Amino acid sequence: MTEGRKAVQVSGITKKYGEAAVVDNVAFEVCEGEIFGFLGPNGAGKTTLVRMLTTLIVPTRGSAKIAGFDVVREAGAVRRQIGVIPQAMTSDTDLTGYENIDIYARFYGIPARERKERIQYLLETVGLAARANDLVAAYSGGMRRRLEIARVLMHRPKILFLDEPTSGLDPQSRRAVWELLDKIRQEDTMTLFLTTHYMEEAEALCTRVAIIDAGKIVILGSPQELKQHLPGKDVISLTLEKLSDAIGDSVKNLPFAHQVFAEDNSIRVAVDMGARDLPAIMEVIRSAGGKVLSATVHEQSLEDVFIYFTGRSIRDEGPKKVSLLSAGMPRRTGG
Amino acid sequence: MNGLRETALRLSAVVDRDWKKFRRNPVVIAMSVLMPIIYLMILGNSFQGKLRGLPLAVVNQDSGPYSRSVLDNLRAIAAGPRTLVIRAATDEAAAVAGVRNGIYKAALVIPPDFSKKVVLKAGPEVGLFLDNTDGISAQALRGAVNGAVGAIASDYVPIRERAYEIHLRDNNLYRQVDYFQSLVPGVVIMSIFLGAMTTGVFNIVMDRFVGVEEAYLLTPLTKTDIVAGLIISGLSITTAVAVLVLAAGVAITGIPLPGSVEQYALMLLLIVLATLSLLSLMFAILGRARHPRIVGVMSGFLNVILFFPSGAMYPVASLPGWLRGLARINPEAYAVSALKAVLFKGAHLATVWGDIAFLAAFTAVMMTAAIVLFKRTL
Ligand SMILES: Nc1ncnc2c1ncn2[C@@H]1O[C@H](COP(=O)(O)OP(=O)(O)O)[C@@H](O)[C@H]1O
Ligand SMILES: [Mg+2]
Repeated sequence: MTEGRKAVQVSGITKKYGEAAVVDNVAFEVCEGEIFGFLGPNGAGKTTLVRMLTTLIVPTRGSAKIAGFDVVREAGAVRRQIGVIPQAMTSDTDLTGYENIDIYARFYGIPARERKERIQYLLETVGLAARANDLVAAYSGGMRRRLEIARVLMHRPKILFLDEPTSGLDPQSRRAVWELLDKIRQEDTMTLFLTTHYMEEAEALCTRVAIIDAGKIVILGSPQELKQHLPGKDVISLTLEKLSDAIGDSVKNLPFAHQVFAEDNSIRVAVDMGARDLPAIMEVIRSAGGKVLSATVHEQSLEDVFIYFTGRSIRDEGPKKVSLLSAGMPRRTGG
Repeated sequence: MNGLRETALRLSAVVDRDWKKFRRNPVVIAMSVLMPIIYLMILGNSFQGKLRGLPLAVVNQDSGPYSRSVLDNLRAIAAGPRTLVIRAATDEAAAVAGVRNGIYKAALVIPPDFSKKVVLKAGPEVGLFLDNTDGISAQALRGAVNGAVGAIASDYVPIRERAYEIHLRDNNLYRQVDYFQSLVPGVVIMSIFLGAMTTGVFNIVMDRFVGVEEAYLLTPLTKTDIVAGLIISGLSITTAVAVLVLAAGVAITGIPLPGSVEQYALMLLLIVLATLSLLSLMFAILGRARHPRIVGVMSGFLNVILFFPSGAMYPVASLPGWLRGLARINPEAYAVSALKAVLFKGAHLATVWGDIAFLAAFTAVMMTAAIVLFKRTL
């Protein structure tokens, strides 16, 4: 995916609020047809980056081109090329689903007949045809998100930006959105640019992923490439009744443990063969006086990549940001 | 022309979205019509103040001593309770024209034979021309002139002798307008203010507050589309409400309907221009507000500084100088005065075109400011 024309070109883009750089000298390129993901914890600067790329925020420094147009100097042209689903829900609750899409399509100057046909088609695609004439106030969070996806496809954008498209959705709705994005991609060649703080989402959807932390790109590549940076192949995760330094040290000293990451009362160990190495780790913990409550073995994921490069788990955000995280956690009905 | 068709489609979508949301809020619709009518009832029964500074034109055609003492008495009123200020006028015709044009609230004409008739006890008369479309001002001036003229009689004549009562001849220039009726134009302006406050810029601030504005800023909508679209939808809704309030006010207080189509057209034009003035003024001031509460606070403030010195309830002439200065740039003052002229005096375009021109210019300036100041980024 390195050949082809560039859908997104970003160089040295920076956004400062006061002294703090919320997005700090970020540069990357996305080719046409790619599904490019920005993965990072809450507060990493994902929304700020997306807003700069979609003309909503003027960068403090640096520049970005979308489909060849400059986001500051040619903002109007950029807007005609892109479709954006912002992180927050942006459909009007006091309009019906149909009205929401119809009014939006008129902003793009789409003539009445074409609107009628395409709204019908898109509502069927997202599974909302039967609820088209209900007020959006009566929709669930997942339905609202699907409506917004139908709405943003009305003008056939070349590049689709999705800022945390499934945050706030229950697992079932999240899967429905993933399937929907997959289906859309097969029907229309579009470049997808999405941000997420869900590892599984980045892993399931993206051809390339940039990991962003504190406003900076930490590492960029396909999920496979990123995982190749990691020592070992599997990860053993254990939750203990109480984790002590002695236990941590004895695990670290095991010859087959490539890397150990301890947090609260759980411990993650990177190994070559999880199933083979698990009993030995359990034994070492037991003899150091620890009690194992649960143990799992899984292949290394992007979560482990994040931990490897930042030294923190993606959920680990210091005392102040915990509430921020919980605000973004799955809720049944969504925002 | 393709660009034109797309612009029309975009504008109509902004307007349509606003209409649909308004229609789904029937309580607001009912309140927009009912509240100004309730105001009318309350104001009509509660506001009674002391008047000051009403301009009285005096034409003295008599060179005798009695007309001088009438003038002295009037000057005493002008210096003491200050109900009126005396303006010398050259002749009767100029004075009456001044009342008609709103320069004077009344004109007092003392005829050449006044002093002679007082001496001869031959039923002396003075003429008072009142602008009785402004009921409370007319009432106050009638009282003051009565006092000034009556005083010379008691000074020089024993009270018992009632034979030569001086007659104050009222010459009502227009039909009698009572205080209740005189409030109707003000109440119409108030309904326009309420409409301008709950439509137009309020909707974009609300969109911003609930976060849906972001999606609209991402579309090809231009600043002009957004500002003009919201002003057009606010205009249509507010004009409809104001016309209903005017009709209800006319019916309730029993104002006779104007005779010609011109007056109806002028009233509609004035309502439209007053609405546009207020909608664009508020858009210019509040276009960047992030919280609906700011709109609430600002509206309360604007309502007081625009409505009370507008002449709707209390004549502008009675206000202190600095407030009269404010009235000179207050669109509500122009709208009230023009609406009163058309509704009560049957004024023609020639009389109110100055007010119309002011309101149109005010709208143009504020709408331009609103579009320039509107921010198309977050
Ligand atoms: N308007 C703003 N003023 C000051 N700080 C801001 C503003 N917007 C965002 N931030 C800060 O910038 C950081 C990144 O925010 P954001 O881009 O929303 O992150 P993400 O989308 O990755 O959760 C956060 O620490 C946030 O508090
Ligand atoms: Mg975000």
